[in-house]
Amino acid sequence: MEGALKLWIVILAVGALNYASRLSFIAFFARRSMPPLLARALRYVPPAMLMALIVPMVLAPMPGVETIDPRIPAAMVAGVVAWRTRSQLQTMFAGMVSLWLMQAALAHLG
Amino acid sequence: MRRVLNTPDFRAGFVEMLPACLGLIPFGLVCGVGAATAGADLLGALGMSAIIFSGAAQILASQLLAAGAPVAVVILTCAVLGLRFLMYSAAMAPALRTLSAPWQRAVSFLLTDQVFAASIRKFDAHGDPRGAAFHFLGGGMALWSTWQVDNVVGYFAGNVIPASWSLEFTVPLCFIALLAPALRGTLPTIAAVTAGVAVIALAGLPMRLNLVVAGILGIIAGTIAELLGERWKAR
Repeated sequence: MEGALKLWIVILAVGALNYASRLSFIAFFARRSMPPLLARALRYVPPAMLMALIVPMVLAPMPGVETIDPRIPAAMVAGVVAWRTRSQLQTMFAGMVSLWLMQAALAHLG
Repeated sequence: MRRVLNTPDFRAGFVEMLPACLGLIPFGLVCGVGAATAGADLLGALGMSAIIFSGAAQILASQLLAAGAPVAVVILTCAVLGLRFLMYSAAMAPALRTLSAPWQRAVSFLLTDQVFAASIRKFDAHGDPRGAAFHFLGGGMALWSTWQVDNVVGYFAGNVIPASWSLEFTVPLCFIALLAPALRGTLPTIAAVTAGVAVIALAGLPMRLNLVVAGILGIIAGTIAELLGERWKAR
């Protein structure tokens, strides 16, 4: 299939699915309460999906890194900051600064 | 419309979202770079950021398309990722109940992790649905408009940003910022740990299907743990 066509099928299908999910309980089922089992299961969607996304991004082997992967301690620092502050900005800042410091330290140690 | 834009709640929602928008700049840039790498033209990149409007889905779709995955796999992965909007929608519904149907349809489009987190906190604190709805609209508009700019800049600036900055690391950081507050309690932690272990154990699956399967396993583990815990208590 041609690249642009493929891309637009994905954009429209995912866009429609996302919009339907966003709209679901606000509009479609507004007068109905959620089936209890579904309500339970949905509560675990964010922790499970986010962890499934994070782990490969932090652990995937990086080319040229043979010693400690600086992303692991940086992710841990970010986790502590996120837990304490709940702030997107501070988490991002703490994570990136620790990553850069670790990278600089590893480069210095050679 | 103008009346809405002048309410203190709308303005508060808009202004309170700005720090998060600032934090999302690198993520938006990475999404723009990803779209360019996947071979999208500018309109395609904008289509992703404006219509899909979910960084996680955009980045995964770009990676999968660049790797030549079939369209069905890309859509399935993004659909599972988008399930969390069902939960946000259910939680936001009481706050948006006073709005007319067209307004509900319009503001729903702006529902994202960050705006949800900010507005639900506001609604829980004040319990004023109308205020929460305007607060939500303000935050959503701030995020949507800055997100388009981030993506377009990323699309063009992708090859200018030095690789040594490791800008792509801001993507897991973004998710960590969302995950940590969600981990309060044993059950969400069980769901997260299960998904984390499964995603590594299943890394051999083709086309990153390990992500979807691990996510579903984590959801099932959390739900079963909750049901077992209740049965235990009932004894």
